[in-house]
Amino acid sequence: MKQIIVPGEVLSQSQVRMDNAYTEGGKTYAKVMGLYDDERKGIIPLEGPWKPRVDDMIVGIVSEEKNKVYEVDIGFFGRTLLIIGKFDRESYKVGDVIEASIKDIEDRKTIILTRARPLEGGTVMMVKPAKVPRVIGKANTMVKQISEAAKTYIIVGMNGMVWMKGGNMALAAEAIRKIEAEAHISGLTERIKLMLEQNKQGN
Amino acid sequence: MGSSANKPELIINGKRTDGRDFNEMRPFSIKANVLKNADGSCYIEWGNNKILAAVYGPKEVMPRHMMEADRAIIKCRYAMAPFSSLSDHGRTGPNRRAIEISKVIKEVFENVVMLREYPASEIDVFIEVLQGDGGTRAAGITAAAVALANAGIQMKDLPYAISVGRVGDHIAIDFNMIEDNYSDSDMPMAIAPRNNEILLLQMDGGLDKAQVSKAIQMAIDAGSVITKAQRDALSEVYSNNVKGV
Repeated sequence: MKQIIVPGEVLSQSQVRMDNAYTEGGKTYAKVMGLYDDERKGIIPLEGPWKPRVDDMIVGIVSEEKNKVYEVDIGFFGRTLLIIGKFDRESYKVGDVIEASIKDIEDRKTIILTRARPLEGGTVMMVKPAKVPRVIGKANTMVKQISEAAKTYIIVGMNGMVWMKGGNMALAAEAIRKIEAEAHISGLTERIKLMLEQNKQGN
Repeated sequence: MGSSANKPELIINGKRTDGRDFNEMRPFSIKANVLKNADGSCYIEWGNNKILAAVYGPKEVMPRHMMEADRAIIKCRYAMAPFSSLSDHGRTGPNRRAIEISKVIKEVFENVVMLREYPASEIDVFIEVLQGDGGTRAAGITAAAVALANAGIQMKDLPYAISVGRVGDHIAIDFNMIEDNYSDSDMPMAIAPRNNEILLLQMDGGLDKAQVSKAIQMAIDAGSVITKAQRDALSEVYSNNVKGV
């Protein structure tokens, strides 16, 4: 049974360790608005900013270039830098879309990227960072499903930027928007499947 | 504000000017997620008060020197629209009163938001009074708390605020503009419902010890109603869909 909880709501009368909760005076409270799952003992946030973690895959847009150090716009308030080493061949222009992973977070606000690769052509859309895990699905199932139905190449960054290219991009974008809007309702996978199948028959 | 010379009768036949009992609040409604561009937002109608609250962030700290390396800072802007009330709010921009209220509201949320979760960042809270009729700071705090939760900011609790005070010998709750101006004492307070921690307490006029404890108890009693309305407003954003599109 899933229910919507708000910050400060008592989850347990004893100290329980769970995500997005804190303990005080022997009780456990929620610290974010989200869906509480009784069985799994955890809160899935419904809203919220993205918190960068090392090794997160992100999608970003190069916004500045200086001496082989690129500043990348990934929708994070701090600076995001891509430093090109000796062995990297790639060079980028301002406006290029890249995929990269986070190597390090300095002073908790400067993100250093590594293993970057360019994403040529295509378009970028933004989804709410809190919904990214649902867009990806368990073991990539959701994104794979959309990708196969729309014949679109999709890359989802943990920061909420989604890059896609080729095929029926309008359908893929529509499916992703639907996930973003309805991620908290159970039976999401079936509904997306239904939507994609209906669209296939329509064509 | 009001001078005692032209003080109106505040209690008529044991009821207050607008026909309420002493422990009766004005009707209010809360709606969350009303602004698309803001990360979190809330609109509250509390009696004749109409207040819009919006939250942005966490974002880059501006100006840079205000940045704290290990935690977020909160900036709060309380403002009354030039058309918000009958008296002197004809000038735009912050005045002495608005700056003071912004500061105390900021301190309410500094005690509730988990600042250390968002190091080196800034969270902006905007409270815009579109129509004011007494108790705007209390309604503003109640709305801003909902807006913060709606933005997904990690918080210890969802605070609410209400004003209590004294009319003659009676302790009354939730003053409107006339009572605010002419009552003997007015005490807005913000409370965290989790452990009834008092986050804001200001007072005009005088109350004795017994009256203060009675006033606080009345505020806490009223708080359960406000807290429920806040929670309902937040879950309603998603409720249309929970039952199945």
